Amino acid sequence: MDPSGIFPTSYRTDRRVVRTRWQMAALALFVGLMLAAPYLVSGRIVAILNMMMISAVIAVGLQICTGYAGQINLGQAAFMGVGAYTAAILASKTGLTFLLTIPLAGLSAALFGFLFGLTAARIKGFYLALTTIAAQFIFHFAVLNLPSNWMGGSNGITVPPAELFGLRFVGETAQFYMNFAVTAIMIAGAFGIVRSRFGRAFVAVRDDDVAAGIMGINVAATKANAFLIGAFYAGVGGALWAYMIRFVGVDQFTLFHSIFFVAMIIVGGMGSIVGALVGVFVIRIIQEIIATVGPNIADSVSFLGGDIVFAGMNVILGGVIALFMILEPKGLMHRWNIMKSSYRIWPFPY
Amino acid sequence: MVYFINDIITGALIGLLYALVAMGFVVIYRASKVFNFAQGELVIIGGFIVWFTTMQVGLSLWLSIPLSLVLAGLVGYAIERIFLTKLIGESVFSMVMVTVGLLILLRGLVLLLFGPAVRPFPIIFPLKPLFLGDMLIPMNLLIGGIITVVAAVGLSWFFNRTRSGLRMTAVAEDHVVASSMGISVKGSIAFAWILGSILSTIGAMIFLSGKSLTFLASDIGFAALPVALFAGLESIGGLILAGVIIGVAQSLTTNYLDPMIGGSLGSVVPYIIMLAILLVRPTGLFGWRTIERV
Repeated sequence: MDPSGIFPTSYRTDRRVVRTRWQMAALALFVGLMLAAPYLVSGRIVAILNMMMISAVIAVGLQICTGYAGQINLGQAAFMGVGAYTAAILASKTGLTFLLTIPLAGLSAALFGFLFGLTAARIKGFYLALTTIAAQFIFHFAVLNLPSNWMGGSNGITVPPAELFGLRFVGETAQFYMNFAVTAIMIAGAFGIVRSRFGRAFVAVRDDDVAAGIMGINVAATKANAFLIGAFYAGVGGALWAYMIRFVGVDQFTLFHSIFFVAMIIVGGMGSIVGALVGVFVIRIIQEIIATVGPNIADSVSFLGGDIVFAGMNVILGGVIALFMILEPKGLMHRWNIMKSSYRIWPFPY
Repeated sequence: MVYFINDIITGALIGLLYALVAMGFVVIYRASKVFNFAQGELVIIGGFIVWFTTMQVGLSLWLSIPLSLVLAGLVGYAIERIFLTKLIGESVFSMVMVTVGLLILLRGLVLLLFGPAVRPFPIIFPLKPLFLGDMLIPMNLLIGGIITVVAAVGLSWFFNRTRSGLRMTAVAEDHVVASSMGISVKGSIAFAWILGSILSTIGAMIFLSGKSLTFLASDIGFAALPVALFAGLESIGGLILAGVIIGVAQSLTTNYLDPMIGGSLGSVVPYIIMLAILLVRPTGLFGWRTIERV
């Protein structure tokens, strides 16, 4: 929301993503810092940033599907897996350049997501949310049971490094720039989608699908589109993941990973792209802390062994989801907006 | 032929076990309009309670089973008190999201409390299978099937015929309308979780009797999910039919189709049947067809 006294005088200014000079400056500073990050911080932190950017692409996709269009999606990790496997197979068998494999990975995931979105033509409400769990199971089944020279079965697939004009994207720094470029494109695209005709249709369907239908929105197509876009983002994120880890296996894309993505958008705030980014940042930091602290605790509580990291992650993230739903259901972004506006209008309450 | 009939009977009985676990979903949905994603976790918590009272404390089965059911009810009540009471009046979406959080929270807690070790589960039902001619029927599944049918008939009667059951049905229709009619939404949700938790514990006893117990047993929650959707989320009686159909289909696929294709199609067959039936009947076989108004 703009401060009082600032009125858009044309639709063009009203639709702008970057609305004030200060926002422009902040954005430029952020992009500049990100571009310089590999030279400013240690390799470990660059690796964490890489992971955050990949999660950001996927979480933004989920945000569009769940936060904007209101479709509960517990299959985001499966969609990510479809993308990762597509990229891995294309890269290792046909040797296509990543410039092609990443969009193709997105498209194949989008197709898979669209299949589940299509059921929205008939299925509504919880039934629809639960069919996305079926996506998760069918993905696992397909990977593990199709002939192992197709998708590697339980052995997974090793992915060759991304290459462009003889330049190999190996190591944290090179991958950082590749991930940053893709993430920047995807997030800019997300801002475009949510303020477009489609994005407004998503919000209308989320708020009341019967009313949206009466106003002339094709509700089923809108829901299917939401799944398509969400899955496309997941597929692109999956492809980046495949190039970063250089190995894909079915264990990387479980229902738990889907729930982690849900946690990210809940913490950040539903219905806000920036919120998804904030959520990714917070959840990834929490995961990083647990992964670092966990093994130390594991030494003192020996009977749990290596499972303490997984268990601790689940307890804390599950607790975070529940706490946020109870105490701050609109997420950190909402709290930030309240703080901002109360700072601006101080000393008046509203 | 004998083997074929035997597979059908075993499949049907496994399907009834799924139906019992799915009854946990349906009971909670039927009294609170909340879909509980953490149902499998409730099963495993029930399993650990039974294991704790018999194997750790060393009570006899006659004492430990009622005690376990009471404890399970308390756990369900505690979950409802801590996580869900505060959300009454918020959107149903938040409550469902809380159960998604509960899914991983409870999984993690079980792992932290009990660790990944494999534990022997007490033998609650006789291990000796029932022989019918050449056929062999597992005793725990047979008794479990009878319990499922009795529970389904009883709960179906309760929710459709008694006054308090109809009150809860009203809550499942709409929280706001129910509370403005003087029905306690809080009480209804609390009852739902207590009952759901108890049903899960009974399911755990049948499922795990004489087997080993690890935290991975909670996967039965996701095996039971297609049964609940197939029957329709509001129908308790329909679970029996849905469970039998899905159980038989799964058993036949596992025994006859899987050896041919060399895969484990049996594990996804329930989901495929569920998707197919939902495309034809969007609210399952016996789910309510609601008319939506703006």
